[in-house]
Amino acid sequence: MNGVRQSWLVAKRELRERSRSRAFLASVILMAVTAGAMLILPAVLVPGGSARDVGLTGRAPAALAATVAGQAHAAGFTARIHRYASLAAGEQAVRQGRVDVLVSGAQRLEWRGRADQQLEAVVTGAIQLAVVRERAAAAGIRPEAAAALLAPVPVSSAELGHMAGRSPGDETAVIVMIGILFFCIAIFGAMVLNGVLEEKTSRVVEVLLARIPARALLAGKITGIGLLGLAQIAVTALAALVAITAVGSVDVPAIRGSVLAWAIVWFVLGYALYATVYGALGSLGSRAEDAQAVAGPVTIVLPAAYFASFFMIAQPASMAARVISYFPLTAPMAMPGRIAMGATAWWEPVLAAVLTLAAIIGLVLLAGRIYTAAILHGGPRLSLRAAWRGAPAPAAPAARTGTQTTAPAGHRVRATEGRKRAMATTDQNSHRLLITTLTGIAVALGIAVAVLSSDVIAGVIAGAGFLAISVQMIKLWTGHSGPPVSPH
Amino acid sequence: MLGFDGVTKSFGPVTALDGCTFTARPGRLTGFVGPNGAGKTTAMRAVFGLTELDAGTIRWRGVTVSAAERTRFGYMPEERGLYPRMRVREQLVYLGRLCGRSAAGAGRSVDGWLGRLGLAARAADRLDALSHGNQQRVQLIAALVGEPDLLVLDEPFSGLDPLAMGAMADLLADVAAGGVTVLFSSHQLDLVQDLCQDVVIIDHGRIVLAGELAGLRAAAPERFVDIRYQGPAPDWSRLAPVAVVEAGEGQARLRAGPGTDVAAVLATVQACADIVSFGYQPPTLSELFRQAVTA
Repeated sequence: MNGVRQSWLVAKRELRERSRSRAFLASVILMAVTAGAMLILPAVLVPGGSARDVGLTGRAPAALAATVAGQAHAAGFTARIHRYASLAAGEQAVRQGRVDVLVSGAQRLEWRGRADQQLEAVVTGAIQLAVVRERAAAAGIRPEAAAALLAPVPVSSAELGHMAGRSPGDETAVIVMIGILFFCIAIFGAMVLNGVLEEKTSRVVEVLLARIPARALLAGKITGIGLLGLAQIAVTALAALVAITAVGSVDVPAIRGSVLAWAIVWFVLGYALYATVYGALGSLGSRAEDAQAVAGPVTIVLPAAYFASFFMIAQPASMAARVISYFPLTAPMAMPGRIAMGATAWWEPVLAAVLTLAAIIGLVLLAGRIYTAAILHGGPRLSLRAAWRGAPAPAAPAARTGTQTTAPAGHRVRATEGRKRAMATTDQNSHRLLITTLTGIAVALGIAVAVLSSDVIAGVIAGAGFLAISVQMIKLWTGHSGPPVSPH
Repeated sequence: MLGFDGVTKSFGPVTALDGCTFTARPGRLTGFVGPNGAGKTTAMRAVFGLTELDAGTIRWRGVTVSAAERTRFGYMPEERGLYPRMRVREQLVYLGRLCGRSAAGAGRSVDGWLGRLGLAARAADRLDALSHGNQQRVQLIAALVGEPDLLVLDEPFSGLDPLAMGAMADLLADVAAGGVTVLFSSHQLDLVQDLCQDVVIIDHGRIVLAGELAGLRAAAPERFVDIRYQGPAPDWSRLAPVAVVEAGEGQARLRAGPGTDVAAVLATVQACADIVSFGYQPPTLSELFRQAVTA
């Protein structure tokens, strides 16, 4: 019986139990439907390929109907022409929605609500053409000469985007991909945290740890939930593929096979990194309500990494983008974004993956130590410091100090309490000093970033982010749930 | 055979286990008793590696206990708990497989135990749909599903009604009769005395008494005389070397020190009352316990 086999049993349990839950099935369906809808709806809602109805009334050049139809064809849709004997009859048709626009006397367009810009341009252009042709004929110009004179000059437009070979449509696709990575890492990471906390609060963890090592339990849980996450991503990707095929009009060159493969690799790396941290933090809590408090630092770092990657899309080849795509906490979202934008040499993702892998190994060692110490601790929520030093008095000796009244034990307790009080006072003093120092560092960092990037907002974000994360870390480390209170 | 050898563990300034040495033998029930906070739970957790030891070793069949040995151990912790939303049978099979058993083997064990404890009909229910008593039974099966050679139970009788207590006692006796080493903690000393062949008494982290219960009782220097009688109460003060433990309407319990003349006691009582019953016994476990713990 080895740890790997046991971890796999734990992972299989997570897969089986969680894939049965209605909440999970609902989230899979919701995400797949949302991804599909995001691709299908624009194609359905934007009236690009559909037919439009145009009503004509009053005096108009004889060729107008044919010109409208011709112009519409050139613009990529069909125009059905309806003639009305009177203005009243035409307006009635507009009001009832039988025609989209009524052309009155080749001078006035009437809509039921707001004008459809594409149809307006086509109809207006057709009127101009028809009227000018009529005038040319009246001036005695031969139809061929008029046609040559009026032949439209083809003008095309191109969307350059931020990178050669990537259109704004590609950029949108990359932003959606980064968003999916962020949500999946956050959702499944939080699932690990809650799962660890659930095992601790339901006390089943002691039954489990009598059978398997703590690290094998944590590894199995992270693996099982991670496979669940991959399954959800696969279903979502499948729904997106089906939607693209069904609509047949979305062309996204940025999302190629190699990009998708890298995206999956980065989901695995990002999830492994954050889930390890989530697992260790989950073991610190003692009640389900502690989930928020212990997750504190990650709930700032993960969205910050997401937004950094999001803004990176604008300059995927810049130095800032390079840095965040190598830094392990931001790489899982920034690097796949840069890959999809075509801004990386082949070795860059490999190097970033190696760096992230090294960070994961380091975190696994740290998290394993915290988790092992904290998971069996029976008392209230643990501080990170206590867990790091190897969780002190568990439930049994605590009960002893409560019931034991003999002299030596009493002395021991009093001595401990005295030391605790002394520690609390020095704690508060050093806490204040620490906060002041950190604020100074945050201001310096903010100014440095602002000067280097010549962007004040980036500086403010960097400084505020640093301060928020470090304050969260201190809270977790010392177990203080709020700002330090003054003694007595 | 489970052997503790000089097992020591401190939590900061508090010494939870202080050089604990004792053994628990196969085929026998060993009762582990001591006041609250004496170190029982810490000692039992140590068997499963849930407490890192400062010093000493725990051996199973002469080998220092490691993960390999622990797959043959069953454990019911003091803090009861299983996955509340998991189905009963699946949960138990899962726990059996974590002990290294095959799915089929664990399934057979689980079905057997569910049938024996009257839970066969609840196999597919979620654990939290079961009553408190039935959840306790499932918790017991969780300890037994690995077909362990060593069964460690922390307060298995707490929270049970008298009927369930009897059933639990019968079951533990059966398991031990099958050759399993059974170690359990309890505060119900009368029950431990009735049930166990061996006993370990722990206080302030130190083992103060350990061994075969009958031998420990016989080895105690004093004896107790239990008398029921009809008629006026004898003048107990005339039985000088004998101390009255308790005396009530028509009955008394007397402590007789070493060298007390039992025949003289009998004669004194007979002189003024009709004796209904007369017993001459070693101290009960409760009395041994009180002496050992307050000594």
